[in-house]
Amino acid sequence: MATEAPLPATTPSTPPPAPTPGFKPQPNPFLQTATLTTHAFPSMEPSSFVAYPSTHLLLPLRKDILHRAVIFEGDMSRQGTASTKWRSEIHGSGHKIRPQKGSGKARLGDKKSPMLRGGGVAFGPKPRDFSTGLPKKIYHLAWRTALSYRYRKGELLLIDGQADITGVHEDSLERYTRDLLRHNRFGHADGRTLFVTLERREGLFRALEGERMGREARALEVWDVDVKDLLELGRVVVEREALEWVLEEHQEDLAPGVRLGAWGRMMEGLERASEGGAVGDVTMSA
Amino acid sequence: MAPRLQILRHVVGAAQQPLYQPVAPFLYPCLLQQRRSASILNTLSDNKGSYNKRIRVGRGPSSGYGKTSGRGHKGQKQHGKVPAGFNGGQTPDWVVHGVRGFKNRFAAQLSPVNLNKIQYWINAGRLDPSQPITLKELSSSRCIHGVRRDGVKLLARGKEELTTPINIIVSRASAEAISAVEKAGGTVTTRYYTGFAIEKIKQGLMDPIHSLQSKIVLAPGTKEGAIAAADALAEEGRRYRYRLPDPSSRKALEYYRDSAHRGYLSHTVAEGQGPSLFFRTPGVTRGGTKTGATTTKRTDSNRLW
Repeated sequence: MATEAPLPATTPSTPPPAPTPGFKPQPNPFLQTATLTTHAFPSMEPSSFVAYPSTHLLLPLRKDILHRAVIFEGDMSRQGTASTKWRSEIHGSGHKIRPQKGSGKARLGDKKSPMLRGGGVAFGPKPRDFSTGLPKKIYHLAWRTALSYRYRKGELLLIDGQADITGVHEDSLERYTRDLLRHNRFGHADGRTLFVTLERREGLFRALEGERMGREARALEVWDVDVKDLLELGRVVVEREALEWVLEEHQEDLAPGVRLGAWGRMMEGLERASEGGAVGDVTMSA
Repeated sequence: MAPRLQILRHVVGAAQQPLYQPVAPFLYPCLLQQRRSASILNTLSDNKGSYNKRIRVGRGPSSGYGKTSGRGHKGQKQHGKVPAGFNGGQTPDWVVHGVRGFKNRFAAQLSPVNLNKIQYWINAGRLDPSQPITLKELSSSRCIHGVRRDGVKLLARGKEELTTPINIIVSRASAEAISAVEKAGGTVTTRYYTGFAIEKIKQGLMDPIHSLQSKIVLAPGTKEGAIAAADALAEEGRRYRYRLPDPSSRKALEYYRDSAHRGYLSHTVAEGQGPSLFFRTPGVTRGGTKTGATTTKRTDSNRLW
């Protein structure tokens, strides 16, 4: 390139110094982890810690991206089936109702005119697709931004294993669940709770499908959740496997090196390097 | 809220940030009664300027598109469509003569500044050579009239006139200008600027020299050192509202990694490595070991004829 200047002649000809023994590279200050406590269900007793990378659960709050994602989902879920008949689709003949002149009344053509009762609708709705577009990368980012927002506010609770209610008689399932929610401050008075599970957990789901249980909490399978669901209620209680399913599903905008799998391997390597460190009881996700 | 395991919490206490208490703790009982969980949903909105309001034509004179709906008076243009590029039936100029030349939208837009002008400004007392000269000084002293989108390029016109040692920080510099400044005992550093950064630097809202990657905080790798480094960053945050950006495109990174350009990122390039992020340094494998004699020896022993 024309703008290259030669370096000053002070460049040493000796080889670079070998790294001193015992030298440890400093940890990357930008590498942060989000630590979550896992809980047993339904006792909600803390059991262990799980760490996730900052690219997944420590993202800054971007209200614009969340807004775009919520609008995108809302548009996509519109049915768009509203339909009316235009005058050409109304049943009836094109026969002229009355003569053009001499009746002393208004001029009229056929009886399907939108002006007449029983006629067609002039500018009525027709079935259409309301869905709008959103770049995939932005939508994936919105997912992780929503989870990060919940994490930051302490409203993301992790369940170890399955969030299911077992061993309760069918008739007392609702009452049991209502008590469970009230005891944990999960219910209506405390802003309601979204339970996200990997699969349908029969006990929990049936309890929350009961009458007036929707005002206490909601339960959704993980494939059924969207960004708006994550933001809607007071807190999100999610099975660990379901959370990891979401994070893996929505990381395509990240470079392969910082996705969950690669990050887990790197953290395992770091842990092995600093064996016996303070992070001993933090289990890393795969 | 779920019960927390208090003992374990102390163990990992370093990872958790101290709680921020925005109001006096004795007010908490009163506040808790008022506490309600409001969803974030009703506060979401897109960035200002992301949407344009739809133009509603033919809706009265105050709308600005009332009477003629923005279509003017009379003729085909008012009533229908006219083909794009239609020249009233006359063969358009670009059809007759063709299109000449092209516009390079990716060309760097730089404001040139020459060495003789800088010396002249210093002699006139309009630039202070004891301080680093950045585009802010050049612009505010009217040494250059306005800074274009990609910043300032230092050129070598009248290099023999330069006698004062100067420390100058620009977007780019010619090789001759670099050698002339260094011969006079000064330094040239090239660093990355964006149009937004230039605007904010001129307003005094952004550091003209240091970004995250160029800021070197000399603090030990201990807890106190981390606090000192955080304090230094916070101090900078107090002084400037915006932070100077670093490059992310490969082209810009390679330019500022090059010590021949006196790039501000050249210290990040390892000894014996080139600035390119694409081409590997010849003879060096990914592990960093030199390949050489051993491989050739093996091929010799494996030769069949």
